[in-house]
This record gives sequence, structure tokens and C-alpha cells, in this order.
Amino acid sequence: MRVLIVEDEPDLLGSLLQAVREDGYAADGATDGEEGLYKAESYEYDAILLDIMLPGLDGWEVLQRLRKTKKTPVLMLTARDAVKDRVKGLDTGADDYVVKPFDVEEVLARLRALIRRSASEAQPRLEIADVVIDTAARTVSQRGELLTLTAREYALLEFLALHRGKLVTRTMLYEHLFDENDNTLSNLLDVHVSNLRKKLGHDFITTRRGHGYSIESAA
Amino acid sequence: MIFNSIRWRLQAWHSLILVAVLIGFGVTAYRVARGNQLRRIDQELQQRLMTAFRPGPPAERHGPKGPPTQGPPLEGPHPEGPHPERRPNDFGHEHDPSAWRQHMQEVIAHAGALEAGQTNAFYYIVWQRDGTLLASSPGTPRDVPMPAETETVEREAGDRPGPITRTRGEFREFCLCFPFGDRALVGRSMAPDLAAMHRLALWLFTAGAAVLTLGMAGGWWVATRAIRPIEDISATAVKIAGGDLSQRINASDTESELGRLAGVLNSTFARLEAAFANQVRFTADASHELRTPVSVILSQTQTALSRERGAAEYRETLEACQRAAQRMRKLIESLLELARLDAGQELMKREPFDLSRVARESVELVRPLATERGMQIHCELPPVDCIGDAERMGQVVTNLLSNAIHFNREKGEVSVVARAENGTAFLTVADSGVGIPPEDLRHIFERFYRVDKSRSRIQGKTGLGLAICKAIVEAHSGSIEVTSQPGGGSKFEVRLPVGEDGLKR
Repeated sequence: MRVLIVEDEPDLLGSLLQAVREDGYAADGATDGEEGLYKAESYEYDAILLDIMLPGLDGWEVLQRLRKTKKTPVLMLTARDAVKDRVKGLDTGADDYVVKPFDVEEVLARLRALIRRSASEAQPRLEIADVVIDTAARTVSQRGELLTLTAREYALLEFLALHRGKLVTRTMLYEHLFDENDNTLSNLLDVHVSNLRKKLGHDFITTRRGHGYSIESAA
Repeated sequence: MIFNSIRWRLQAWHSLILVAVLIGFGVTAYRVARGNQLRRIDQELQQRLMTAFRPGPPAERHGPKGPPTQGPPLEGPHPEGPHPERRPNDFGHEHDPSAWRQHMQEVIAHAGALEAGQTNAFYYIVWQRDGTLLASSPGTPRDVPMPAETETVEREAGDRPGPITRTRGEFREFCLCFPFGDRALVGRSMAPDLAAMHRLALWLFTAGAAVLTLGMAGGWWVATRAIRPIEDISATAVKIAGGDLSQRINASDTESELGRLAGVLNSTFARLEAAFANQVRFTADASHELRTPVSVILSQTQTALSRERGAAEYRETLEACQRAAQRMRKLIESLLELARLDAGQELMKREPFDLSRVARESVELVRPLATERGMQIHCELPPVDCIGDAERMGQVVTNLLSNAIHFNREKGEVSVVARAENGTAFLTVADSGVGIPPEDLRHIFERFYRVDKSRSRIQGKTGLGLAICKAIVEAHSGSIEVTSQPGGGSKFEVRLPVGEDGLKR
């Protein structure tokens, strides 16, 4: 899962990026509206955290322009909690909003809910064969036993599970699992996949040679 | 209490006055009518007595039967006045009392005969001097006392008592004294007249009550009409007191006193609403400004505390929190300063100072910042004497200079010029920056107004600097204006009156 955070206050941006990354997401930051819009249009993000008061383009403008091309879920960060501001945000195309000052926990929870909804999953629990993925607690269990996964492994599994039954290309995985600061070598992806297979069983993830990976929905 | 309402009081006073007027009128009318009635009865009585006892052609006055050819002379209140030439001894009967008595009895009998059969008949009585009844006509009530001499109202010339008029029960009587002490009395019952007077009183009372009712109804109507605008005003004021400041009094009539009052109140309400809206906006802006640093502290600490960190990471977190706290402190200080300026609590000093010296000090204060950005500060600062608070004016100049540097282009220029002209001191701070868009110019001194909604580009700016400048300059009875050409820089000009009245008390 890859998230874009557009926030002009560097200290706030820094801590949000850290929190989101520690929650297992890949995260990019932007400090003004133009940069934010550019990144949002250029990469495939799973969600965008967008502040309203921004230098250059403000949050409304970024959202309005972004909606012409992309349906990426947007969580607005607003310092004004007047009803008309919230209504304006939602009407412009935001999917949710958080009023400053917020608790990091709440932002993360809303982010998870947004990503889940955009993958058409109402349930936070994904059950595939004997594997249960709890996207709220970010845990994976097999036959009732909790598995220990690294953040990257979990992110990879969750992404594949949310797109189960479909082919997930390596490009998609790179786009969604790594942010611009990651200098991951391409074979690192294979390392994560192989580690997952060791923990979940070899057949859980299917390799489509030359294309990518997939998890069969009825596997 | 309903009786404390103006309408009720108006009504009460109105009714009270109306009742007083009606009672006064009724009583006067009744008394006049009664007086007239009495006078009429008295005249009638007097006339009867005169007719009965005055000598005159028998044929005319008493018919063929004929009364005595010579009656006694009439004394007392005669229409033609007393007859001074007549003396008691002129009367022949003086020498013959029995003839006189005889004569009297005839007169009475005759007069009584005339009255016989009439309703409300007159009665006649004659007493001798010693009080023995000489004669009385039929129909005379029983036990009519002889009028005592003490009842005499007036005495005529000589010792003879004048005529006596008296009311005895329902009877009105008129009594004359004859020269030798005999007394003749004519009287009649006033019962029909009293009944008429009762009817009059009743009629007056009824009419009065009707007029009072009408008057009260009219008064109520007038009071209601007069009070209606007040009730409108009151109802609106209640709504406004309840918090709906957008309410206005419906003042269609703008000419009357109440209409003008409504107009004044409406404009007061409008100002109140504007002030209130301003206050609300200011509070919202202030809390909004505080939200970002609080967000920083919350997110930094929550993220840092979510797991074990190294010393360096904790240090970073603490530094970020410190920056946020500093920002909040700056904002709070500015807010407090504005609040003090607003409340007028900030006692401005009032002493002479050199505006140019103050400006030079400010320039030295910001010079490092300018040098850092490769900017030149041009000063043209001849001595300019002012009166006021040098420290606060220094704050104004420093603020303007720091803005000029902040919003300037790299290696730009800033100029500070002071001059005095016609009793006004001018201080101009100009920059060579990008300028301010025309649509923002008139808002530039508003609290928290920012031309660029950016925060990072104006780190350390609270958005209150120019508002504080304006408040300080205005406390000096001065003014601050801005002119700007997009791309050509901005120019802030402070004007201060030089004279003694330079500082608002």
C-alpha cells in the first residue's frame, strides 16, 4: 500500500510519514499543492492524505484537478471544522476528513478503512482458504495460529489478497509497496515473496512467469 | 406584572382623568340644574305670594267673586324693589287688626280655592306675630313651623326681617314678614322637581358611564396602537437576546419617534452583529492557527511513543515539539497584545521621541536578516519629532521592515524614509518584492489575513503583525496605508500627528 501525504508543515509531514511507514505503508510526502498534485497524478497511490491550507495550490484545487483523472481515495486534513468546510470537502470529491488536531491512531484507522473500501472490501477480515488476514490489527493467522510477518511481507500479502483472483504485476507491486525513497533492488521483491511462501505454503501465491503474482480467490 | 405594563398604566391614567372630568362635569351640571330649579321654584313662590297679597283689580286677578279690594302692601324682595314711601302706618288695617285678620283669611281662602284640585298645589299660611296661626289654605301640610326670625337671611332697612326662603323636607317655602310682625308663607312640595332631578342625575350617570366606556375603549385602542411598535421592538430585542443577531425591527414608519428609535436600534443591532461576527471569525481564526502546532505536537509525540526509539529520534521529536510550542507562544503573545490594544489597557507612553532614531534602531535589528538574503536597506532618516510610545512605534517599524525583507525578492531593496510635513510625521517602508494583488490590499490589515495562504513560506509569521501595527498606529491617532503595484513592490506609509493630541487618551 502506498500513501501520499501532502502537508506544508514539515514537522507534521515528517511525523505522519513516519507513522504511516511504521504502519507498513510505503509513503511519499509533498510540501505544497503543486508537488502534491504532480505526485498524485504520476504514481498509483492507494490513498492520499491532503491538507487544505497549502501554499501554491490549496487542497480544494488539488482535489478538484486530481478528480479529473484519478479516483484515488482522499482523506482531507482540515483545520476548520465548520460544517460547510466538511461538506465542501466531501462534495469536491474527498472520501473522508480528519479535523486538526488529530490523533495519529485515528488517521491510520481512517486510512485503512479508505483503502479497504476502495478495494470493495467492507470487512476488515480477509479469509482466503485457511489464511485469515485482519487488516485492522494487521495480523495474519493460518489455521488459527498467528504468523509473524515483517511489515513488507504483510503489505505484500495484503495487496495480493485485496486483488485476489487478479494478476498483480511486478510494476504494480513496486508502485504500491515501495515509496520514492526506497532503493529496493528488484530481486528484493522475490525475497519477500519467497519468505511469504515459506510461512504460508508454496502454493498460496502463484507465480505467473514474466507477468507477476496472484492469489487465487478460492485457493 | 400586567399592571406594570405601560399600556395598563396609560389606560389607568387615561381612565382616571376621564372619570375625574366626567364627575366634575356631571356634578357641575347637576348643581347648575338644581340651582336653576330652586331659583325657578323660589320665583314661582314669590310670585304666588305677591299675586295673592298684592292689591289689584279684582276682576282681573280673582275673578268675579273678588278678593279684598285692598290687600296689604308687599314688602321684601319685590321686583320693583321696596317702596320707601310706603310706611306701615299707611295701611288702614294697622288700626284694625281684626279687619286685617278677616282680610287675610279671605285672601288665603281665595288663594287656596284657586289651588284646589291642582297637583303639586301651593299652600298659604299666615301667622300672627305671636305665632298663632291666623289662616291656612286647604292642602297645607301639618305642623308647618313658623319661620323664626333667626332664619332670616337678610334684614332690610329698619328692624324688619327680610323674606325667608327655606327647604323643609320635600317642601320649599317662601315667607314674608309683614310690618307689624305677622308672617305669610307660601310653599309647595318639591317632590316632582326632586324626581326630575333624580332623573337628571340618573341620566347624567348613564351618559357618563357610556362616555367613560367609550373613552376607555378608545384609549385602549390608542394605547395599543402606540405600544405596538414598542412591542415589535421588544419582541425583536428578545430574539436578539436569545442569540439570533440577524433579527431586525420592521420599521416601516421612519418618521415617528418610535420609527427613529427603531432605526437607531437596527443600526446598533447591525453593528453588534458585525462585531459579533468579527469576534467569532477572530476566535475561529485563532483556534485554527493553534490547530497546526498542536497537530504537530500530537502527531510527533504519538508517533515517537508508539514504539521504542533511539536517543536521536527522541531528540528530533522534542525539537519538533519545541518549534511547535514556540510558534504557539508567538501566536499567543500576539493575540494577547491585540486583545490589550483592543481593550485599551495597554497604556501608551506619551513622550517626545525621534521617529528616525526609532527607525534606525529597527533597521539595525533586521539588518542581519537582510544581509543574509543579500538585500540593501536604504535609509533617509532626518530627525522627525513625534509624541507617543517610542518602543511601540519601534515594534511597528520592525514589523514593516521584517515584512519588507520577507516578501522581497533575493538581493532586493528596502527603503525607509521619514519626513515631517504640515504637522504630520510620515514614515515610509518600501520594498522591491512581488507586490500585493489589488484584491488583497484592502484586507491586508485584517487579523490572520494572508495574501498567500502558505504557511511554510512565512514561517514565524502569525498573520497578526500588520493588524498589531494598525492597532498601535491608531492608538497614536495616526493612520497606516499601503500602496502596491504587482511586480513593483509594496509601500507602507505610517502617518502620525506631531502635536500634543498625538496620542489617544
